[in-house]
Formats: sequence, structure tokens, C-alpha cells
Amino acid sequence: MVNKKAKGRVGHIVLLIVLGLLALVMFYPIYNQLVISLTGNEYIAQADGTTIIPRGITLQTYSSVLSIPKVYRGLLNSLFITAVGLVVNVVLTSMGAYVLTKRDLFGRNFFMVLIVITMIFEGGLIPDYFLMKDLHLLNRYASVIMYKAVNPYYLIILMRFFDRVPTSLIESARLDGSSEMRILFSIVIPVSVSGIATISLFYGVFHWNEYFRAMIYLTDEMKYPLQVILRELIISMEKASFVGATNYLQMSTTAVTLDFKAIKAALIIIAIVPILIFYPFVLRFYVKGRLQGAVKE
Amino acid sequence: MKLKKEQLKRQLYRDRYLYLLFLPVLTFFIIWHYIPIWGARIAFQDVKYVGKNVWVGFKHFKVLFSSPVFFRVFMNTIAISAMKIFLCFPLPIILAFLLNEVRSHNYRKIVQSIIYLPHFLSWVVIAGIFISLLQAPDGVINQIIGFFGVKPISFMTSTKHIRWVFVWSEVWRSIGWDSILYIAAINNIALELYDAATVDGASRWQQAFKITLPSILPTIITVFILNLGFFMNAGFDQVFNMMNDAVINHVDIIDTYVYRIGLGKGNYSLGTAAGLFKGVIGLFLILSTDKLSRKVTGEGVW
Repeated sequence: MVNKKAKGRVGHIVLLIVLGLLALVMFYPIYNQLVISLTGNEYIAQADGTTIIPRGITLQTYSSVLSIPKVYRGLLNSLFITAVGLVVNVVLTSMGAYVLTKRDLFGRNFFMVLIVITMIFEGGLIPDYFLMKDLHLLNRYASVIMYKAVNPYYLIILMRFFDRVPTSLIESARLDGSSEMRILFSIVIPVSVSGIATISLFYGVFHWNEYFRAMIYLTDEMKYPLQVILRELIISMEKASFVGATNYLQMSTTAVTLDFKAIKAALIIIAIVPILIFYPFVLRFYVKGRLQGAVKE
Repeated sequence: MKLKKEQLKRQLYRDRYLYLLFLPVLTFFIIWHYIPIWGARIAFQDVKYVGKNVWVGFKHFKVLFSSPVFFRVFMNTIAISAMKIFLCFPLPIILAFLLNEVRSHNYRKIVQSIIYLPHFLSWVVIAGIFISLLQAPDGVINQIIGFFGVKPISFMTSTKHIRWVFVWSEVWRSIGWDSILYIAAINNIALELYDAATVDGASRWQQAFKITLPSILPTIITVFILNLGFFMNAGFDQVFNMMNDAVINHVDIIDTYVYRIGLGKGNYSLGTAAGLFKGVIGLFLILSTDKLSRKVTGEGVW
């Protein structure tokens, strides 16, 4: 009996170690980038995948990287696209979800089918591109902001939150003569804060991480969001076509002779930081939202 | 009949502002989703720069199906997807089981918070991280295998390894996130079942296999079926950001082909045809897996 208990305890410790190692495997690659980005220029040559403590800690790499016009423009573009996109997304999705939560609305089922079809079938990349061209949205922020402005999955998730708002609350407001717009924005949305938070995070992460549509719709480099710049640096660097950007670096006033490895690491960290800032909220709402809605996003 | 019409009219009038509120959303869906679906007709046309496009029937599909490149791309898609399902599907289930056995609530929360993180990173960032992780000779993986006397391997440019890089980076990104559904399913199991089993003297292993597994089987089946439904998406963002010229023949999938042929080389009709072909297979897979799901679990995918 005692033996069995001891065996169970050893088993549990092994389990904890295995899971701890897994967490390490998930975390270490990101941490390594942080270390490299903080390493002082004189030590950067020795810093590699196994460096655990940065030597000559400095924020020099960050300040230099952020002084590259392409990069700081990219950061501002990303913030702009994410912020404006988020407002458009949340307003439109709320309006859609609010109307569709009214079960006895004539034509509701038809609207639902119309929306569900878009979840399983799409025109595709090239027709999407031609649409932007025909709407004269190419090289405009609007093309990226409006892309997937209402995500059908998120719409359905929000509907589940709106469903929980007591009908009596809405009906009595209607009797008082409040307009539908007013009911939505001053009753339904305020009592569904967690639903709004959930889809805001969904959309926010989507916009912040989006690079592909920006890459193909926008032609002016100065309009690129951070992810596109990052992609240019990371992917192109491996192919030595990064030389152009290096010249750029040397032209900028604050630039010292920066190491590529460090630039890349700093940019990766910059792209992760906003996610980390919102991570407590992400854990609180996003994870639950996943369970609320469709299995796949 | 007349009464019904009258009633409908009244209802429509009553809800007029709701329709007004819905109008922007509807307009959005028509413009951003349905116009492109209609736009996909260029797969059956020759694009003319002057004048109207000409209908050519299945011409581009014929070109596509007789193209060895497309055949390779198609097979790559299937191979990469299959490899991913093979590992990315079972691992989160195992993880959920392991997490469930942890007795310390705080320890479990900390582990969970860390392992969900990669899911929120873009594939651009993940590609950057993995390229540096797998670099030869100073990336951490090469340092580790070097410690055991293995010569450095340039994983990203090795045709032998690149698909496994895809699989493992996908596991890295999604194992924690995908375990959430199973963890929730396990949490929903009535505790009395375990109490009764403990009284009967069942071991932890027996409990896991005789209670937990059967209880979450419907979830497992639903997720598997859904994975099948999205089989043709071998992971565009991942492949697009991780591929390079050295391995392109081994990793080029339908979606990257559509981009390269269509937007890259301006062969719009052929690219759209390839995309449409993939879309139709996907649609067929989703509809049939939905049917399968209804049969097996009694619940549809939707």
C-alpha cells in the first residue's frame, strides 16, 4: 500500500517534469529571440541559440531598429489598421448579430444561410484581388481594414452572447419608443461586455497578425503593416536580398553597424509585445470564446 | 391567405428599422463574399485586357489537370495535410489527459498559459523563430544534436526535413490551443463517475481509459471529422513563410500555387481554376464530413 502510494507520487513528479519541459519548449524559442535582441553589439557574434543570459544588455538594437523609417511606419500602420479595423468589425458584427438574434424576423433563416455559405465557400484569392481593383481600393488602407470586416464565425459567437440578454429588457425599451440603434448600443452591447471583449480580441489578433492581404493589396511600402516588413526582413534575409535594407540602415542617422540576427530578433519581439500586453485578457475571454463558438475559427 | 399577407406586411413594417440596421451587414457580405464568388467565373473564361472576357468552358481545368506541376502540388497538399493530421490531431488529446492528472491547480494554470501563447503569433513571426531555431550550425536544435555528435543539418533547406519542420512547427503552435476543447470535455465529466471508480479500486490508468476516454470520444470524433473537412488547407501561411527555393518542389501546395501562378505570373484564369478546384473538393469534404458527423455523433458540424 505504502509502496503504491510512493509509486504514484513518483509518477506525478515525472508528469510535472514532462509538462514543465513542454512549457519550456514552447517558451524558450521566444525567450531566445529576446536574449539576442538585448545582447550588446560587442557580444552579438557569440550569442546563439543556447545563450541564456544576454551579455552587455542594451536597448540599442530596439532604438536603432525603430529609427528605420520602414519599421516605425510599419508599426504605426499596424496600430492604425488594427484600431480602425477593430471599430469597423465590432460595430458591423454587433449590428448583424443583434438583428439575427431576433428569431421571428421575416427572412432571418435566409440571412443565416447566406452567411453560413460564406464559411464554407469563397471566391478565392484572385477574384478577391479583382474586387479590390474594381472598387479602386488597391493601395488604400480600406482594402485591408474592410477585408473580412464581418467574420461569420465571430458573428455567430456574438449571437450566442446576445441571446443571453433578457428579451424583456429589449421589449420594454421598444415600448418606451427607443430606436433599435439605441437599444443595441445602450442596452445590448453594455450588458454583453464579455462578448464584445471576446470578438474584439479575435479581430484584434487577426488584424495585428495579418500580412498577406496587406502585401498583395498595398503597393506603397510606406503603407505596409509591421508584419509585412518583418516578413521582408526575415524571409528575404535568408536569400541575401536584404542588402537593400542594409543600405537603408546605414543611411539612417542613429544606425550603428547592427547585426542582422539582432535586428530580426528585435522585430520579432516588437511584433509579439502587443499580444503579450493583452495576453491576460486573451486568456480570460479568447479561450472561453473558443468554447462558445464553432470548433474551428 | 389575405390575412397572412396582411400579417406579414405588418411584421415587415414593425421590423423596418431592424432591416435598416442589417442593410450594411448584408451589403458587406454581398460585396466582399458574393461578388468574388461570381468573380471566380474567370476560371471558365479567357481574360481579355481589351473588351469582354471570352467563355472557354473547361479549357483551363484541362490545362491544369494535364500539368505535372499541378499534380505535384496536389500530391504535396495531400501529403503535408496527412502528416499534420497524423501528429497534430492525437498530441493535444494526450496533452489534455496529462494536464488533467496534474493535482496542483496553479501549476496547471501556469503551464496552460504558456503553451497557449504560440497560437497567437503570426506565421511570419513563427517562421522567423523557427528559421533561427533550426539554423546551422548555431541554432539551438543544431547545438543540441551537435552535443550528441551529429553534424549540423540545414533543416530549412533540406528536402528530407522540411515537411517535418512544417509538422512540428504546427504542433508547437497548436498543441496547447487544440487541447482546450478536450480539457473542457474532460471537465464536463461527472465527478461521481470517478468517485465510484475509486471506491471500486480502479487505478488512474484504468480511470483514464475506462471513464475519461469514452466520455470525450464524441469530442474527439467531431474534431477529427472537422480536420478532414479542412483537409485541403495544408496551411498556406505556414508554407508561404517557411518555403524557399531549395525545397519548393516538396512543399508547394495548391494555395501557394494559386498565388504564384495567379497573382505572381498573371495567369489569372489558371490560378482561379486551381483555387476553385480546391474549393469544390473542400466543399465536398465538408458536406460529407458533416453528414458523417450527424451519423456518428448525432450532431452536425454546424
